[in-house]
Amino acid sequence: MSGETPDHRSLVDSPPGSAGPSGLIGSELVPSASHAFDTAAHASPVARSQWALFRRRFLRHKMALVSLGVLAFLFIVCFGANLVAPYSNTEQDLLLGPVGPRMSHWFGTDELGRDQLSRLLYAGRISLKIGIAVALISTVFGTAIGAIAAYFGKATDQTLMRLTDLFLVVPAIAILAIALERFGSGDTTIILVLAGLFWMYVARIVRGEVLGIKEKEFIEAARASGASSTRVIVRHIVPNIFGPIMVNATLGVALAIVAESTLSYLGFGVEPPQTSWGNMLSQASGYVGTDRAYLIYAPGFAILITVLAVNFLGDGLRDAFDPHTDRHQ
Amino acid sequence: MSDAVVSAEPMLEVSGLTVDFLTDDGLLHAVDHVTFGIARGETVGIVGESGSGKSVMSMAIMGLLPKSARVTGSVKFRGQELLGASERDLQRIRGSEIAMVFQDALASLNPVHTVGAQVAEAVAIHQELKGSELRNAAIALLDVVGIANPSARFEQYPHEFSGGMRQRAMIAMAIANDPAVLIADEPTTALDVTIQAQVLEVLERIQQRTSTSIMLITHDLGVVAGVADSVMVMYAGSQVERGSVEEIFYESRHPYTKGLLASLPRMDRRVDKSDRLHQIEGQPPSLVFLPTGCAFHPRCPFAETPGACDGEVPALQVVGDGHYSACHFPDRIGSDEGMKS
Repeated sequence: MSGETPDHRSLVDSPPGSAGPSGLIGSELVPSASHAFDTAAHASPVARSQWALFRRRFLRHKMALVSLGVLAFLFIVCFGANLVAPYSNTEQDLLLGPVGPRMSHWFGTDELGRDQLSRLLYAGRISLKIGIAVALISTVFGTAIGAIAAYFGKATDQTLMRLTDLFLVVPAIAILAIALERFGSGDTTIILVLAGLFWMYVARIVRGEVLGIKEKEFIEAARASGASSTRVIVRHIVPNIFGPIMVNATLGVALAIVAESTLSYLGFGVEPPQTSWGNMLSQASGYVGTDRAYLIYAPGFAILITVLAVNFLGDGLRDAFDPHTDRHQ
Repeated sequence: MSDAVVSAEPMLEVSGLTVDFLTDDGLLHAVDHVTFGIARGETVGIVGESGSGKSVMSMAIMGLLPKSARVTGSVKFRGQELLGASERDLQRIRGSEIAMVFQDALASLNPVHTVGAQVAEAVAIHQELKGSELRNAAIALLDVVGIANPSARFEQYPHEFSGGMRQRAMIAMAIANDPAVLIADEPTTALDVTIQAQVLEVLERIQQRTSTSIMLITHDLGVVAGVADSVMVMYAGSQVERGSVEEIFYESRHPYTKGLLASLPRMDRRVDKSDRLHQIEGQPPSLVFLPTGCAFHPRCPFAETPGACDGEVPALQVVGDGHYSACHFPDRIGSDEGMKS
């Protein structure tokens, strides 16, 4: 507690809250008798808002900061691709053909002579959008299902979890094929279908965590103070399992980007001339071990860096949301 | 808190309250036909050892027991029946009319929110306050319960509070909406004696301010003697004796109460020759397999067996003005070698 205290006098005086020799004993406990607390008042820590505490804990996480920068950079260059990219993503230079990295084409060109860097930036729009959107939707939905199932238990639990099991066992590829066939392979369809295939894992993890949390006394205390079930779940349960949820969401981003590559590979992903990182990767996959292997590196590293950055960011956020990390400084 | 204004107006009336749980071994009678009332501004001490049904009873009053519990009888708040009331009605009453202070304040505070945010939430659930108004209300509450430098404390997390401070914060949350009834479930058990005294003082001060009725659950007879107006003693889920604090302490008419009082260490009297404190022989019974007749008879030095004691469940009978005892032979347990000395 006194680790919070910027004032060193607190070590000599009574530490705040210890109710030590600060005149409580025997003194009248009415608020007007505040002179009794003067000693403690001086030694008490400076007021900080919850947001300030959160920011401070986050800023302490160096890798998360770097990752935030990297992600911001990726977003800016990808979504500002029409301003930053040296070429158009579809411009072909058939005479040039596939060439390796050089000054005019940093990441080289593909067999149609398209600039890889430009294509990478435009592709990033799709991949980042899909990654973030899928993670967000599946996390929110999965958390809601898992938390409701665990909190209410009984028949609600049975119904929701059997539904989850059902989604887990349906053959993903078949569903994808049907959905994309029916609704076209637009971004939205891909996002919804992938989210529809990812939320069950979140739901199961969240259910397990909530089963543990809901037996805690502070949940009972919240209910005793008249909080509704919604309030108990949203305000008291979910913030306590933010760590596992966050870790899962960051994994979700990575999985969604990779899953989109798989779809592309199978021919279900975004359609040319639109590209995604996964799409580029699958197109280049035939060149493994040849002198055109450079085509693999650009999208491969783009995915790798994004996934790593999101993971570190998730780590930082999790720690920032956990008030106990303050003690370990 | 006998100096507080005690009026006859009943705030909470509990009658025939029974709570059963269906277990693998059979029906478990956690609370068995408990009847009592709390008047406005009155403090009732509920005394009993662990497992005697004190906490289950308070949860039943709040309507917070899981659905597996079978609750029967009647709990009336200001004449309104709470058993079987809709969850919506109960939510309105919980925290605003009947509030609760829990034993383990650290476990009862949410570790991820600041104490201030939690006190503010307790206010916001029942009152339309927002922003700085809400914040000021919460800070005022922290001040009322004697937390020094409340505006700085507002921003701290439960783990940054000491035990006594946490319990004060819990009380601040409980009194956030000036409840008519405050159920304090062993509020001082986890605290050391000086902090205990301070927390009780806070409760007493709040009661004097708002004439709150307090139901104080404890197994500490010393606490009861200090603050309660009347006392109810529970054993194995049933009430065995009820009366004013003076009657219970000086003219107890139940062997269990007698035994409890005799086991207290006393400053003014040497313990007997063997240098051991008095103890009640035997162990509390299993709530699934209660002894026949009086649940206390296997441990009772006055028991007549075979006879009434193992044959018939004793009913609560009047043994004095507002003094009830569930003993077949209350007259045998005189005020003789009792607690007067």
